[in-house]
Amino acid sequence: MLSRLWPAALVAVLALTACSAPSTAPAADDAFVIAISSEFETLDPVKGYAPDGGSMMFDGLMTRSADLTLRPALATAPPVVSADGLSAVFTLRQGVRFHDGRPLTAKDVAYTYTSVKGSPIGGDYEAIDTVTAKDDHTVEFRLKHAYAPLTQRTTLGIVPEGGFPAGKPIGTGPYTFVSWTPGDKVVMTANKDYWGGAPAIGRVVVAFAADDNVRATRLAAGEFDATILPPKAAARFENQRGLKVYKVDSADYRGIMWPFKQKVTGDVAIRKAMSLAIDRQAMVDTILAGAGKPAYGPVSPDTVWHNPSVTGRTDPEAARKLLDEAGHKPGPDGIRASFTLMYPAGDSLRKELSLAVASDAKKIGIDVKLAGLDWDAIEPRMARDALMMGYGSPYDPDYVNFELFHSKFAGQGFFNPGHYDNPKVDAALEKGRASTDQAVRRQAYQDFQQLVHDDEAWTYLAFLKHVYVIRGDYQGVTPSVDAHEHATGGLFRDLHTWKPAA
Amino acid sequence: MLRIVLWRLAFAVPLLLAVTAAMFALAANSPFDPVRQYLGDRAMVTSPEVVARIRAEWGLDRPLLEQYATWLGNLSSGQLGESHSFNRPVLDVILERLPWTLLATGCAIVLMLAGSLVVGTLAAWRKGSALDRIITGGALANESAPVFWLALAAIYVFAVTLRWLPAGGLTDAGSTTLDPLDVAAHMVLPVTVLAISQSSWLVLYVRESVIATLREDFVLGARSRGLRERTVVVRHALRAALLPFLTLLGARVPELVTGAILVETVFSWPGVASATVQAALSVDFPLLAVLTLLGTLAVVAGNLLADLAYRIADPRTAS
Amino acid sequence: MRTAAFVLVALGLAVLLVPPIFQLDQQLVDLRAAGLPPSPAHPLGTDEVGRDVLLRCVYGLRVSFLVGLVAALVSMVIGGTLGLAAGSAGGLVDRLLMRVVDGFSSLPHLLLGIFIVAMFAPSPVAVVVSVGITHWTSAARIVRSEVLSLRGRPFVEAAISGGASRSRVIYRHLLPHLVPHLLLAMVLMVPHAIWHETALSFLGLGLPPHLASLGNMINDGQRSLLAGNWWSSLAPGLFILAPTLAVSVLSQRWRDRLNPRMRSELAL
Repeated sequence: MLSRLWPAALVAVLALTACSAPSTAPAADDAFVIAISSEFETLDPVKGYAPDGGSMMFDGLMTRSADLTLRPALATAPPVVSADGLSAVFTLRQGVRFHDGRPLTAKDVAYTYTSVKGSPIGGDYEAIDTVTAKDDHTVEFRLKHAYAPLTQRTTLGIVPEGGFPAGKPIGTGPYTFVSWTPGDKVVMTANKDYWGGAPAIGRVVVAFAADDNVRATRLAAGEFDATILPPKAAARFENQRGLKVYKVDSADYRGIMWPFKQKVTGDVAIRKAMSLAIDRQAMVDTILAGAGKPAYGPVSPDTVWHNPSVTGRTDPEAARKLLDEAGHKPGPDGIRASFTLMYPAGDSLRKELSLAVASDAKKIGIDVKLAGLDWDAIEPRMARDALMMGYGSPYDPDYVNFELFHSKFAGQGFFNPGHYDNPKVDAALEKGRASTDQAVRRQAYQDFQQLVHDDEAWTYLAFLKHVYVIRGDYQGVTPSVDAHEHATGGLFRDLHTWKPAA
Repeated sequence: MLRIVLWRLAFAVPLLLAVTAAMFALAANSPFDPVRQYLGDRAMVTSPEVVARIRAEWGLDRPLLEQYATWLGNLSSGQLGESHSFNRPVLDVILERLPWTLLATGCAIVLMLAGSLVVGTLAAWRKGSALDRIITGGALANESAPVFWLALAAIYVFAVTLRWLPAGGLTDAGSTTLDPLDVAAHMVLPVTVLAISQSSWLVLYVRESVIATLREDFVLGARSRGLRERTVVVRHALRAALLPFLTLLGARVPELVTGAILVETVFSWPGVASATVQAALSVDFPLLAVLTLLGTLAVVAGNLLADLAYRIADPRTAS
Repeated sequence: MRTAAFVLVALGLAVLLVPPIFQLDQQLVDLRAAGLPPSPAHPLGTDEVGRDVLLRCVYGLRVSFLVGLVAALVSMVIGGTLGLAAGSAGGLVDRLLMRVVDGFSSLPHLLLGIFIVAMFAPSPVAVVVSVGITHWTSAARIVRSEVLSLRGRPFVEAAISGGASRSRVIYRHLLPHLVPHLLLAMVLMVPHAIWHETALSFLGLGLPPHLASLGNMINDGQRSLLAGNWWSSLAPGLFILAPTLAVSVLSQRWRDRLNPRMRSELAL
C-alpha cells in the first residue's frame, strides 16, 4: 500500500527540487575539488576577500613566491619609493585583460584601493592616503606616514573600476568564476588567456564542509581531491596509496594573552612560572598529533625575522622555585594563585590546549579556572581574564604585532586587549614600521621579540602545521609558510601552476 | 470545513505575533553584539569607526519599538533581511534550503508510516511472541536514544566501517549537476535515521490499536466466517486502527521539526533545519527568527491538517 | 521491570557516590594517555585528551541530571501556577490561559530552546531556562484538569459553600491533592529535560564544552569517531539511554497499577 507510493513520491519531489536548484555547466569529471571548512564570506577583494593572495580569480600588483619574497604580478616591477617613504609608484603590466575582456588600467587599481578602505579589512590599509592613476599604466600611492610593509599589502586582488555585479566576480586571475552555490561550493574554470599562461588544471571546485569528519570521509571516498584537516583526522591518510599528506609550516600560533592590569596575571613571576610549567611538546605530540612545534614568541622560526635567542623549556621545579621567591607560597589546599583562562567555546583545539594548560598549572600550584565562552562574552572580559588566542602572519612582522603590542592600542577591542605597555616595545615597533632600511628593521624586530619574551607578554604554546591531503600526484606543489588564515591561500595559492605528474 | 480553516488561521495570527514579539524582546536583551558576530575573526583588525558605521547602517542605534515595527513591517512585506552567517538574503537562504528539508522529511514521513504500519501490525498479530517483545522493546529503547547518537552510530557502521553509503552532504562534491541517483544515495542515511527516530510511538500505537480492534465483534465475526488470518488483519483490523492515525501524525510536527534539526546537522544536509543551528551558533538573528517562525508555521499547518483529516476520515464529527 | 529499577538505583548510587570518592578534577587531562581503547584500567577507554570515559560519563550524568531536575522544577512551578489559576478561576481566564497553553505547546521545543540559548550565550542557566519555559505546558494541563475534577468533589464544594476564601480553598484543599500528580509529572519530565540538555550541548549550544556533560561528550566523541575511536561516543549515549528507558518502563507499570482497566498491552 503506502510503501508502493514511496518511490513515486521520491521521484516526484526530486524532480521538483532539481528544477528549482541552479543547474550549472556540464558535469566535470576533470574538476579538481578542494574542500575547505568555512564558506567564503565574500568573493570580492575590496570587501575583504583573500588580501594576502590565493584568490585564484584575482591578481595583486605583487605576489609571493614560496620563500615569501615578493615578485611582480600585475605590476612590472617592485614600486619606486620616494626617499621620504611617502610615495610609491607602480607601473602596470601591458595587455592584461579582465575576464570580461576589459583591459586593466591604473584606474582599476585606484578604485580597488580606494574601495577597500571602507571594508572590514580597511584598517590594514590605513597608512594609504590616496591612490591615483597617473596614466593608463602608472599608479601612485601617497601615504600618510612612512610605512615599510606597503609592498606586502599590494597582494590584494585588483577588481575592475566600478566593481562587478554582486555574486559575479570579475578579475584578471588564472581562473574565471562560473558559479557559487551558497552553502555548497564555488566553481571556477581555467582562464585560457591568462597573462601568466593557461593553468593545467582546467576546472576547480571549492566545496564547503564545516565538519572535519565529513571532509575526511568524503576525501577518502574520492569526492574531494584536496582538503585541509586537523592533524588527527589526517593521520589515517599517511602512507595511503594515491594520497599525499603535506604538513606545512605556519606562522599560525596559539598562545595565552595575559591581562596586565590584574594582580595575578599582571605579575611577571606568575607568567614566567606558567611558561616553565607548560609541557609544550606534549601538546604538540597529542593535541596536534605531532603537526606543530613549540612556540615561545610571536614570530615563526620558519621566517627570516625570527630571533633564535627567544626560547624556553619545561621545568616545573624551576617554576615552583620562581613562585616561592616571588612570595607565592602554597596555601593549605596547595594553591598559590588562581586566575581565569577563557577560550572560544566552539574551538575544540583551543579548548584542549586550555585544558592542558590548566592541568600543567595545577602541578605548580596555580589554579586555572576555565571559561568556554562566545567571542561576544569574551570581548568585554579581555582586560580582566587571560584568553587562549591565535594569530600570526609570516609576511611582515609589522602585521598584527603592531596592533597587538603597541600601547596606543591598549584596550581597543582585539588590539592589545591585555593593556600591555612597554615604551621600548612601542619604539621598536615604530622604528620597524617606518624605516625603509632592511638592517634597521631587522634589528628593531629582534629587539621587539626579546622585549616581549622578557616581559612574557603572552605565553606562546605552539605554531601549528597546516595539514593538507591531496589526491593524485602533481608537480609544482610548493609548500610555503602559511598564515593564520589560509582558506585557498596556503598550499593552494599557486594551483594554476600545478601539473598532473605523468 | 471552511470554518475550521478560518478558526485555525484566526488562532495562528496572534500566536505568530506573540512569537515575533517574544523573539524580538529576547534579541533586544541579548548581550550579543550583532556587528561583532557579523565581523567574526575580522573584528580583530576592524577599527571602531568602521564598527560604528555598520551599526548605523543596520539601524541598531534607533529606539527598540521602532526597530521592532520596522522589522515586522519588513517581514510582512517579504523583506526578510540579510543573513550574516550565510552572507546572503534570508529569503534566498530559505528558498534554496527549504526544498531539501521538505524532500528529506517528506521521504522520512512516508518511510516512517509504511515501516511502522508493517512493524506494528506484525507485533500485534504475533502478540506476546518473541518478535513482539523485540519490536516493543526496540521501540521503547529507540524512543529513549538521542537521535543524534543514532545518526552517529549509522555513520560509523554504514559510512566508516562498511563504506556502503556517503556520510553526509547532498551530492558528491565533484559533480556540478544534481544527479537524482547521487542525491538519493546521500539521502538514504539521513532519511532512514529520521524515520526510525520518529517511529517508536507510531509502532506502539499501531500495535495497540490493531490488538484492540482484533478483539472487536466485527473482526471476530470476520474470523468466524472463516476468512484467512492475513485478510482479517489487513482488511478489518488495520483499517479501523488507521482512523485517528492522521490526526496523531499532524500533532507530531513539533517532534519532526526537532528531529530534522538534529539529523540535518549530523549529516550536513543543506536544509533549513541545519541552517537553524548555523544561524544560532553565529547569533544570526534575521535568519534564526525567520526559521523559528517557519517552524511555528509548520506546526500550525500540521494541526490544521490533523483537524481536516480527522473530519474527513470520520464524518460523525463533520457537524 | 526489575532490571529497570536496578539500572536506576545503580546509576543513582554511582552519581551520588562516585564524585566524592574519586574527587575528579574536571579539568585534569593526561595528554600521555590519550585515546586509549577500553582496558581493565579504563573500562570504557580514554578520550582525546586522556580522560577516563567511564568516570566522565558518571560525572556527565550527574550534571545532566542536575540540569534536568532543576529545569523540570522550573517547568513544574510555571505550569503548576498557571494550571491552578486556570482551573480555579474558570470562565474567561481559564479559556484564555488554555489558549496560551495550546499555543505554547504547539511550538517546537528544541527550536525555541535553540533561539533562547543562541541569544543568551550557552550556559547552565540559559539551558535550564530554555528547557523550563518550553516544557511547562503538560504540567499546566495536568494541574488544571485535576483542579476541575476536584472542584466537583463534595469536600471542596462544601468548603466553598461554607464561605472559605478562594486562596484558602486552593491552599488547604486543592494543593495537597495536586502534589502527587505534580511529582509524577516531574519524574516523567526529568528524562525529557535531560534529552533537551544533551541535544543542546551536542549542537554546541549547551553547557561549556570543557564540562563533562553527556551531550558535550558525544559532541567530542563525534570528532574521534572516524579515527576508529567509537568508545568515547558510544558510552555517553548509553548513559542517556539507560535511565530514560528505565524511567519510561517504570512509569508505564506505575500507570498500569494506578489504573488497571487502562492496562496497556506492552509485552515487556
